[in-house]
Order: sequence, then C-alpha cells, then structure tokens
Amino acid sequence: MIESIRAELLVLRKRQATWILLGIWTILAAVFAYIVPYMLNRDAANPAEEALLRQLLPDRLVGNISAGFPFYGGAFALMLGVLAVGSDYGWGTFKTLFTQGPGRLRVFGAKLAAIGIGLIPFVVLPFSIGSISSIVVANLEGAAIDLPSLGLVARGLLASWLILLAWGAFGVLLAVLSRGTSLAIGVGILYTLALEGLLSALASSVSLLDPLVKVFVRTNAYSLIRPLGAMGAGSAGDGPGRFAGPFVSTTQALLVLALYVVIFAGIAGLSLRRRDVA
Amino acid sequence: MNNTYAIETRDLTKRFADGTVGVDGLSLRVRPGEVYGFLGPNGSGKTTTLRMLLGLAAPTAGSASVLGADPGSTASLARIGAMIESPAFYPYLSGRDNLRVLAGHAGIGAERIPRVLAEVDLATRAGDPFQSYSLGMKQRLGVAAALLKDPELLILDEPTNGLDPAGMAEMREFIRRQGGEGRTVLLSSHLMGEIEQVCDRVGVIRRGKLVAEGTVAELRDRDRLLVRAEPVEEARRLVAGVRGVEDVTVVRGELRVDGEPAVASEIARALVRAGVRLHELRVERASLEDVFLQLTNDEEVAA
Repeated sequence: MIESIRAELLVLRKRQATWILLGIWTILAAVFAYIVPYMLNRDAANPAEEALLRQLLPDRLVGNISAGFPFYGGAFALMLGVLAVGSDYGWGTFKTLFTQGPGRLRVFGAKLAAIGIGLIPFVVLPFSIGSISSIVVANLEGAAIDLPSLGLVARGLLASWLILLAWGAFGVLLAVLSRGTSLAIGVGILYTLALEGLLSALASSVSLLDPLVKVFVRTNAYSLIRPLGAMGAGSAGDGPGRFAGPFVSTTQALLVLALYVVIFAGIAGLSLRRRDVA
Repeated sequence: MNNTYAIETRDLTKRFADGTVGVDGLSLRVRPGEVYGFLGPNGSGKTTTLRMLLGLAAPTAGSASVLGADPGSTASLARIGAMIESPAFYPYLSGRDNLRVLAGHAGIGAERIPRVLAEVDLATRAGDPFQSYSLGMKQRLGVAAALLKDPELLILDEPTNGLDPAGMAEMREFIRRQGGEGRTVLLSSHLMGEIEQVCDRVGVIRRGKLVAEGTVAELRDRDRLLVRAEPVEEARRLVAGVRGVEDVTVVRGELRVDGEPAVASEIARALVRAGVRLHELRVERASLEDVFLQLTNDEEVAA
C-alpha cells in the first residue's frame, strides 16, 4: 500500500494544477485574512475597527487564518479532490491503473491517502504566511509579538486539515459520480455557494431550516474552528463565505466532519469498484 | 473451467445499459504459449471482450477464466500485461515517471523500468513528458507498461494503430518474439496481414459472436465456389436456395459460395434452368482476407 501511495503522491506532486491551487489559495488566504483587513482598519477610528485590527496580531493567528478554511479553503480542497480522481476518467488512466493488479479499492485508497497528504501544505502554508503577516502587522502597529501556544496551533492545523479533507472527499465523490472533472467542479461550487450558502443565510429567519443547516459541511466546519478564536464564525464579512450560525458543539462538528469523510469516500469507493471502466 | 487454457470463456455476454449487445455468447479458448489473433471489424466486440477479461467490465452473462483465475482478480492481473485501445498515461508525467506510478501500484521494483524502456527503444526519450510523444512512442510506452510485470499473458488491443510501416513491422516482430519466448499473447486486430503474420491461431468475431476459429491455414483452406453470373442478385437468390449451400456472399460482383464442391453441378443446373447467364463456376481456395470479408460482411451475406 505504501508503494501505491507513493505512486499517487508522485502523480499529485508533479501536476501543475496542484501547485496552482496551492499558490492561489495561499495568496488568497494572506490577502483576505491580513492584507485587506489591515488596509481597511489600520487607521482604526472606533472600537469595532480596533477589534478587527487586534484580530490581525500574532496571538490571534489560529482563529484568524482558520476562518478562511470552511468556505474558501474548502473550495480549493474540493477542486483538488475532483482533479485528483476525475482526471483519471478523462485521461483513461483508470484502465491502466486497474490492470496493474492491486485491486480497485487499493488504487482508490492510495489516491485518497495522497489527497490527504497533499492537503497538508494547503494548511501549513496559509498558517505560515499568516504567522509572517501577523508579525509584520504587529511591527507596523508597534504591538507586542505574542505567539499563540503550540497546542492551539496544533489544534488549528488539525481542524483546518479535517475541514479540507471533508471538502476534498466531497470532490472525490462528485468526480466518481460524474466520471470527470467539469461537471463535478460545477456541481461542487454550486452546492457550496447556492445550497449551503443560501440556506445557511436563510436559517436565521426560517427556523425550519435549522436541523438541515446543522448537518452542512460549512456549519460543522465553522463550529469546529469557533472555539479556536475564529471571529469569522459569526462575522466573516459579507462575502459568500459569511456565516452567522447556527453552530453545533465542537464534538458534534468533529464527528460529523469525520463521518462525511468516511461517507463520501465510502460511496465513491463502492461506486468505483462496481462500475465498468470505459 | 479447464485450467489448461490461458484464457477460456463460456457464453460470455455483455449487454450495455441501452440494450445494445456488445458481446453475444462468446466462447473461446486460448492455449498457453500461443499467439492468438482476435480478428474482427471495428465495433465487433473485440475491445469489450478484452475489457471483460481484464475485469474492467463485468459480463452480463457467461463466465471466463484467465490464467486459471477470475478476470480482474489480483491473482490473474498480477500475471497479465495489457494495452487496451490507445495507451492511457498521465500526460504531464514523463514516460519513466508513468512507469514508476504503474510499478508502484503493481508492487514491482523500479529496476524493471530501464529494462522495459530499452526493450521498446524508448530509453532516450524516457524523461520527456508523455504528451510530447508521437503516436508511435505512445504505443511503445504502452507496450513497455504491459511488459513491466514480466507477464505470462500479454493482451494487446490494436497495438499497431497509428504506427508507420517500419513501426508496424517492429511491433509484429516484437509480438512474434514474445510468442517465441513462451508468453501467451492475445492480439486483437482488424488487420488481416498482421494476424496472418504473427498468430498461431485466429478467432474471428462478428457482432459479438465468434464466427470462426482455427489456425490461419485452417481458415484459409476452406474451399469454396466462385460463381460469376448475371444478374447477380437473381443468381444469389437461386444459389442460396440450392441444397448443400451453407453461405453465399457477394464480393465485387461475384458470388462466393460456402459448401461442398459437389454442389457445383446443382448450382450450374439451377442457374441455367432459370435463364441466368453463367460466366464462370470454379473451386477457389480463400485468402484470409476473403475469409474475413465473408465472415464479417453483414450487408452482403445472404443465405
């Protein structure tokens, strides 16, 4: 299995699209978590703006940077999941891989493991850029550089990785069901924006939607990072990533996201195993 | 299933979701160590059959055994090298890296890679991306991938597609060599010359059914009658009605009649009695091309 995972990591690592997604996501994370908020609030004139500026300091790193993962980071993870599996349909490489002998599920498992490993830089790099940015902001503002505890950083990294993994597995499922990339990315983005986004926004005024919204990936993702100090949980601006609740407990969020990974991967694996390969 | 065959299928059938029958009750046997030609026109069900033998598609009915194991099982795939349709690889990876990926999944040591690359004469371009390869190089990489496991059975689907004449000759020589080294080869093709040159035995498939099987010599040795008469359609109708005639095909305005040579006099009598002008009637030994056309040309088959 290790050799299969190595092989899939080679496929992922040498693909330009992987690096493009990682690059764009990292830049976006820095721009929207630090550069834009700092430009808007550097001359803070009221307590609200001062609070926003304080959020950019090193001690708030984990909450500030992880707030981008449930939606924006998720979209990149979804695309990575789609591309990592859906392209094999387009290129016809599944038939080449499946005739090597290890069994379809082992090939699929290796692909999933490679995606899981491949998502680590998608977490570490934004956190690294975020920490540098927060130190720069502290220097510019003459504030103390109080770094967050290692425990908090570790929790933030793991929570962010789990969020990306859930979205990545969703991308894999869409790719397998649609046997390609284009439709899967389209449906995936539509789901995150239109379905989860709109229904979440309506949940505050339509109480009937509450139970449904509470099982959304985004709801559980925001709920998971909320205790880490993510101010985005509740006031992440007015963009498509805005989320104002409802929230669930951290334990529930953890379990639901883990369950999503298992369910998405399970359905995709079974489907891949049963269906003919063109 | 009898394990003395490298490949054995019984009434293998594939019906697609839209109701089309791709393979229809196919029963064939490939013996160990032989080069078996799987001959049929485009769309006759060759690739679908190969897909089922490799576990890429599940049969709707019937059964198959490949190297004594179920198609698509780890036990069989570990001993098979295959190239189905056009070679499919990651376009941005080099030929060498593509083989590394396959070797990783197959659990094969990387030391096999330079050997198979050298065997298909691709060593000097092994570091270039697959997408920069010519069609011939892509085919050769496909063959290298098929050889990676040092397989007992090679399944090659139209391996000379897109190759220039020199490449085709090289590929045929390569296939012959594989057979000579004791490997079983199942070669799918619609090119009769190819099959004739490299195969020990041939199975001819039409519309998903095996319509003939034997050595090239056996298929060619089927004596038949050649009839030139006018009008052709009237002659075909009359000949088809003669007792002892098995099959009548119109090829280039002539009737090719399967049946015992003894029916010749009956045919002559039937045509003359009906006022059809009979220009020629003789026994002919068929070429493989004639056999193929006769067996697979749906529109012109009568009787």
